[in-house]
Amino acid sequence: MKPDPSVLLRRRIVNYCMLVLFTLAIFISIGALTAILWKLSFSGLKAFSPDVFLKSTPAPGSSGGLLNAILGSVILIVTAMVAAIPLGVLAGTYLAEYGRTSRLGDVIRFCNDILLSAPSIVIGLFIYGIIVLPSKHFSAWAGAASLCLIAIPVIVRTSEDMLRLVPNSLREAGVALGCPYWKMIVKIGWKSARPGIITGIILALARISGETAPLLFTSLNNQFTTLSMNVPISSLPIVIFQFAMSPYKDWQNLAWAGAFLITITVLGLSIFARQMLSPKRRS
Amino acid sequence: MSSIITNPRISVQGLNFFYQDNKVLKNISIDFADKSVTAIIGPSGCGKSTLLRVFNRMYDLYPGLRAEGSVIVDGRNIIDRSVAVSTLRAKIGMVFQSPTPFPLSIYENIAFPIRLYRKLPRSEMDGRVENSLRKAGLWEEVKDKLQRSGLGLSGGQQQRLCIARAIATQPAILLLDEPASALDPISTAQIDILIGELKKDYCVILVTHNLPQAARVSDYTAFLYVGDLIEFGATNQIFTNPGIKQTEDYVTGRMGY
Amino acid sequence: MVPASGVDKVPAPNEDAEDFHLPSGLHFEGPFKILTRLSAILIIGVMAGIFLLLVLESVPVFHKFGFSFITASSWNPVSNKFGALASIVGTLATSFIAVLFGVPLALGSALFLNELCPFKLRSPLSTMIELLAAIPSIIYGMWGLFVMVPIMSHFIQPAMIKHCGHIPYVGGLFQGPPFGIGTLTAGLILSVMILPFIASVSLQAFATVPASLREAAYGTGANVWEVCRTVLIPFTKASLIGAIMLGLGRALGETMAVTFVIGNAHRLSVSLLAPGTTISATLANEFAEAFGDTYISSLLALGLILFLITFVILMITRMLFLYDKRRIPV
Repeated sequence: MKPDPSVLLRRRIVNYCMLVLFTLAIFISIGALTAILWKLSFSGLKAFSPDVFLKSTPAPGSSGGLLNAILGSVILIVTAMVAAIPLGVLAGTYLAEYGRTSRLGDVIRFCNDILLSAPSIVIGLFIYGIIVLPSKHFSAWAGAASLCLIAIPVIVRTSEDMLRLVPNSLREAGVALGCPYWKMIVKIGWKSARPGIITGIILALARISGETAPLLFTSLNNQFTTLSMNVPISSLPIVIFQFAMSPYKDWQNLAWAGAFLITITVLGLSIFARQMLSPKRRS
Repeated sequence: MSSIITNPRISVQGLNFFYQDNKVLKNISIDFADKSVTAIIGPSGCGKSTLLRVFNRMYDLYPGLRAEGSVIVDGRNIIDRSVAVSTLRAKIGMVFQSPTPFPLSIYENIAFPIRLYRKLPRSEMDGRVENSLRKAGLWEEVKDKLQRSGLGLSGGQQQRLCIARAIATQPAILLLDEPASALDPISTAQIDILIGELKKDYCVILVTHNLPQAARVSDYTAFLYVGDLIEFGATNQIFTNPGIKQTEDYVTGRMGY
Repeated sequence: MVPASGVDKVPAPNEDAEDFHLPSGLHFEGPFKILTRLSAILIIGVMAGIFLLLVLESVPVFHKFGFSFITASSWNPVSNKFGALASIVGTLATSFIAVLFGVPLALGSALFLNELCPFKLRSPLSTMIELLAAIPSIIYGMWGLFVMVPIMSHFIQPAMIKHCGHIPYVGGLFQGPPFGIGTLTAGLILSVMILPFIASVSLQAFATVPASLREAAYGTGANVWEVCRTVLIPFTKASLIGAIMLGLGRALGETMAVTFVIGNAHRLSVSLLAPGTTISATLANEFAEAFGDTYISSLLALGLILFLITFVILMITRMLFLYDKRRIPV
């Protein structure tokens, strides 16, 4: 069939236009995102000094650091993960091992998917309702609880996915030896899925490291460094929010330093998680 | 049909197996002789693996699977729910189609099933691991790297590791579900020789779709077709002088199953 | 390999007492199962708890204001009269703008990476997109405040007012002093925030297209755009729409990226350049200092509205992904 040159020309023009648009799209995307990282690094590094790690948050007009905020964040995150990891892995194990086809399993999966993508501020409201209101005060416990509820769906999902990848023949091999089913899960299933489960935990960690909204009315903020869990506690995202929105120059600088710190941590964790999955896959 | 076997290790009588409402095994009666190899042959989907999995109650794992009839091992009907499954499985070892080494060291792979039942001092455990590996013909190749992961072995070695693991608890019966089908020809040949050795100590039941292999290594053969036991007898007789036409068609390759 | 025979240290089979001991740990089977089941049921508990809490707290508010809670725009803590309209409209408007700008950019980027990108660049660029999807939203908020707002107020908004402000019908969208903050700015920040997310989910979707299908399409002589149009996009249709809805869901619930630049004014105005508010920005700004039952309940009622909107979006999203036999990406 002899091609019609005008048809060919039209197709070629349309194609060219679309490809130009695609290229434009990637340029704008990468460009905007590069701009953000550039500004972040520039302003963040400018404001960085050892004081950031050594001194507490200052009153406006004086110099200081982010020590109490960093400490507070670490306390909240560690507390949250200590609860989220066992709960998440066990729940994911249930879904993968006992609840694959059950109605209960389906309902749980649905709820988990919703919680996974639900606005984090709503989680904060929930914790406000069940912890802050009854105890009549804001506290680090409340903050940690809200972070925990954000981490759990991630861990549940990745644990379930990773355990499902373990081939059934491995399970049967364990059971054929007379191994009790739960022991087979723990000693063989978890061991086999371990790289994937750890990756999921790291992803959850990265996600909660940058969360601000749920902390706004659970752990609130605190000018001082404190180790008590029953009172409000400072945290890096909250301090960044407060300082960045303020009119004071040195507060704004500290905000950039804090933002830089958080971004480095989150990106570092994400890169580490990706590394865990690729070379380990070979075995 | 199975009266040629005296003192069978396993005696199957009137076994019916159901997947939901589907009858997958129909009134099977066979005796399996001790210290010998019985091959179960037949086209895909005829129920060979299903039958094998009845012997160690593997179907307990899956809802919707159900067995009726009797399978007598050591005087007890193992289909009966009252029989403790774990002790049954200690007596019966199973090797699967694709090698399934645990994500543990070679040593730990063998020690794992032993530790389920006994607490042994280190030296005795060492001895047991060595014996199992020797019997599986793997000792010479791995004796210097017992602490390495089992996953690092080649396919044929992994399968021999699985065989060593299956015999670690000194079972009486060995179930082999197409153990060489995922392996290269050289490893397959090694497995064949190994089966010849293993039958001196165990009652070996071998499911295979590889007819030449069945003819080579087994003493008795059962031919299954779509859930029915068509014929059972000494391997020699089944392959050279089958009594039933359907068997003859299958073993001579006349039917393109 | 030589199989050893007649190893003398091994006792004959069945003489060992092994087979009559039960394996250790049998008794823990039940407790373990219960433990895992309880942990899993916790998830349902949280979900139900959120619903219950928000609904129970909102009942007095709807009792007091009735349906006008949703239709009134005045939000006055002093006189204790609250109307959610400004927040709701702001949420919908900013999300709409975010999707309007973010989706074409995201899909275009994903298609570029899948079809046009030189092989060497493909991995670093797609890694970059994925990592950028992980950046916390507060960073976007800060960048918006310190970089976008000045650009908007010095260049973009004055240009808009000058050129578009007098067009009939549409002009009303571009009125008012160029503060730099406002609904449009917030929407643009959101679009930058959700675009890497939509792009990486779309890229994952394109990866599910079988190579044979793509090759067959190119084999008929189709050019790149035609292959995208006739094969890639239709094949992944449900996942793509799902990705867009997922991005929409994110935009609706996003707090920090918006709070910095929205202006926090409970006012309904036609102009995109005017300050406004969203549900999450309202909650972020006012919750900690809210006093009085009506005020707090009104805020929680706002939370309920937000949760319901995102719940519906997520349900639809889930169905879309399941149509392609996938699940909502983590």
